[in-house]
Amino acid sequence: MPLKLPEADRNVIKDKSNIVHDLSKITKNIIHADEEIKPYETDGLSVYRQKPIAVVLPETTDQVSQILKYCHRRKIKVVPRGAGTGLSGGSIPLADCILMGMGKFNKILETDFDNRCVVAQPCVANLAITQAVQHRDFYYAPDPSSQLACSIGGNVAENSGGVHSLKYGTTTNNLMGVEMVLMDGTVLKFGGKHLDSEGYDLLGLITGSEGLLGVVTEVTVRILKKPESVRAVLIGFNSIEDSGNCVADIIAKGIVPAGMEIMDKPLIIATDNYAKAGYPRDVEALLIVELDGTTSEVDTLIEKVLGIAKMNKASYNRASNSDEERLRFWKGRKAAFTACGVLAPDYICMDGSIPRKKLADVLSYISKLSKKYKLDVANCFHAGDGNLHPLIMFDSNDPVEMKKAEDFGADILKYCVKVGGVLSGEHGIGVEKRELMCEMFNDNDIQQQLNIKNAFDTENLLNPGKVFPILHRCAEGGRMHIHKGKDKFPNLPRF
Amino acid sequence: MPDIFYAKTEQEVSDFIFDNYNKSNPIEIVGNGSKRIGRIVQSSQTLSLNSMSGILEYFPEELYIKVLPGTSLQEIEATLKQKNQFFGFEPNDLGYLYNAQSNPGTIGGVVSCNLSGPGRFKNGALRDHVLGFKAVNGSGAKVKSGGTVVKNVTGYDLSKIISGAYGTLCAITEINLKVSPLPEFEETFLISGIDYIQAIDVFRKALDSSLEISGACFFPETNASFLTLNDVKKDTSVLGLRVQGPKASVVERIQGLNKMFKDKSVSMLDTYQTAIFWREIKNFEGYSNSEEFVCKISLPITNMINFIKHFEKTNFKYFLDWGGNVAWCLLENQNDLDKMRIFCLKHDGHLTVLRANDNFRKSEEFLTNSDSNLKILSKKLKESFDPKRILNPNKMYAGI
Repeated sequence: MPLKLPEADRNVIKDKSNIVHDLSKITKNIIHADEEIKPYETDGLSVYRQKPIAVVLPETTDQVSQILKYCHRRKIKVVPRGAGTGLSGGSIPLADCILMGMGKFNKILETDFDNRCVVAQPCVANLAITQAVQHRDFYYAPDPSSQLACSIGGNVAENSGGVHSLKYGTTTNNLMGVEMVLMDGTVLKFGGKHLDSEGYDLLGLITGSEGLLGVVTEVTVRILKKPESVRAVLIGFNSIEDSGNCVADIIAKGIVPAGMEIMDKPLIIATDNYAKAGYPRDVEALLIVELDGTTSEVDTLIEKVLGIAKMNKASYNRASNSDEERLRFWKGRKAAFTACGVLAPDYICMDGSIPRKKLADVLSYISKLSKKYKLDVANCFHAGDGNLHPLIMFDSNDPVEMKKAEDFGADILKYCVKVGGVLSGEHGIGVEKRELMCEMFNDNDIQQQLNIKNAFDTENLLNPGKVFPILHRCAEGGRMHIHKGKDKFPNLPRF
Repeated sequence: MPDIFYAKTEQEVSDFIFDNYNKSNPIEIVGNGSKRIGRIVQSSQTLSLNSMSGILEYFPEELYIKVLPGTSLQEIEATLKQKNQFFGFEPNDLGYLYNAQSNPGTIGGVVSCNLSGPGRFKNGALRDHVLGFKAVNGSGAKVKSGGTVVKNVTGYDLSKIISGAYGTLCAITEINLKVSPLPEFEETFLISGIDYIQAIDVFRKALDSSLEISGACFFPETNASFLTLNDVKKDTSVLGLRVQGPKASVVERIQGLNKMFKDKSVSMLDTYQTAIFWREIKNFEGYSNSEEFVCKISLPITNMINFIKHFEKTNFKYFLDWGGNVAWCLLENQNDLDKMRIFCLKHDGHLTVLRANDNFRKSEEFLTNSDSNLKILSKKLKESFDPKRILNPNKMYAGI
């Protein structure tokens, strides 16, 4: 599958042996043989593949700094990579880049219970942070479904969420500090073990910046005490509309559940087949609501939620009475992606966020598109925070079907934006959605973002070709100030 | 006195800034002038966003509100209250600090200062509640970022960077904020007669429990007069823990606190006084009627003990908030302020001056001088929005 990336610098490619030689003076961990590079040629968006000129695996912040400084001086592009689980192609290499794998930054540096935080290197897996503190009943709240494998540094890059972000926020709300290296090798610290950054909130800016502004070498996250009681309830509905209305009513009644997830019928069946979660199979939509707090609070809230469900014509309900049962409820939902893998050779997972009240509208539109494109789709939805994950099934060996799947996905996201939502809730833009940015932003908006990129990375060497459209310009909106026909930042690729 | 231009629309803001961009005229951006934070801006032009006022959208079930920058915080909070909602960051009313009376100001000003009230350690800071915005940058271009949904990774998260930027990056013309349901019930649990070391220990125990404490403050004996409530003792230290939620749960959790701290001198604040207690803290009401410096000391909890110990003999007043993560200090002597700032720098924290006299605001830094590389990056960031540095120049740092 061809993917348009910034034009490769042939001189850099030709100079590979010298570059490898120079970099090997900084770190011995350098991979450049074709067959050894192969595992690094793609990430979680595996339909695109591209080999870099070499892969470096630094072990210290100083090495990261030296490598970046060298590449900056030689004008060599660098693509950072964590665990490689990203779904939007954010760490897909370029033909003339050095891929900087952060895999050796895999240690938890400090568990600091007094300040309720953990200091970790960026390639520590998300779940490993909870595992490091759970003996004292603490946990790290953001829990993307890939949490077993995805790295905390990657979470910072994509501002990952999970099923509990309605109540506990996404990465940005749980991140206290980072150490980061800019493309020119400058090492900076934003935040720390204290609350609130002073001056510009650079910590907030780099969270979700998809590896375009710097390479994170250390992360400080806050940890929370586990709630006394956690219970989940399964609620079945005969229509998606009813399930969406139920979610809106729960929120309107002032309840903030720890998580609220909706699955449509195709996904209920697929996940139940796969995970034997015990879901009702005769409903059109299944809502999982998780509540946490003190025991009596949770019990009261469960009753309230069941009452609201009844008013919204729920046809099935079951509340968990043990932690095992609660985890079984989640087992199906958490296996949604794998379960779809059984249904079709390939699937792509979309990631729009929409206002909750538009759920039924968007799902009915997706269903129409499914008929139009003749491709099956299954939907799961972080209903609490409006994040929709349609899984479009196709066969990547069939180029026509693959193109159809991509167009189908793009149509869904355009519709998400049309109803007041956004292109990505938690997977990022990467290369996958970059050309759709114009659905949300005009030229001025994009230019402002490019100006910021320029402030961090003057030569546009760090992870170029991601996030911003490169095939065309967005529609003009408002005033552009170009002096004497010249762009302010001629070095930046202008779409 | 510079002329004040009262913009009524985004287009007028854009035209005004574009015109001054071409003339390289510095502009001071103001709301209703309720907050005197930051360095004094020398400008020939003043842009007031006060006339851009009103609530554009409010969907309680979608948990967001979209407002114009000049909308008064009072109006917004009253609207939210009608639907049993509020801002989880509990915005401060700084009127008491500067004029000894309530003046919550405009939402644009509130966002530009990124200050948060007592619930910050649990509910997040103001910046965690800004979902999206529209603004005009320093070259007059209209820009936007974010949206109305909580989960959003579509381009850089500029909502964070404009929160607490003191109007130095752009003039905000529209803001989308996350709102939260008001807790059904709340109570305040008091412990008196303990010192700061014991207080930090109480915070640790209470916040390490599953009791979901949403307010945790401590007033040493030297500052007990800050609180005016009759039910709070004035001759000894007082520590307050706030518990919010469904009534049955609050009762249950208060029982948990009683059990946890049975060896201490504990009491309950009258339920009806709970809101007043936390309002006085949120608005620094006890620091009104004075010209002294007021500053925010943000440190890791473990370093906060060292801070108080280090300055034990210094003439200053303080109270701890956010479970010991922040100290709000009142002091007269600038030398002491400088020493505190240096201490914060050395101990992974920072000091922000919230109130100072005009002489200080003309010549001194109100933010901690961060390291030189951060300064360079901050300057570049400023210029990425405002290439000629005409928006609130020098307000955050000299030269930025």
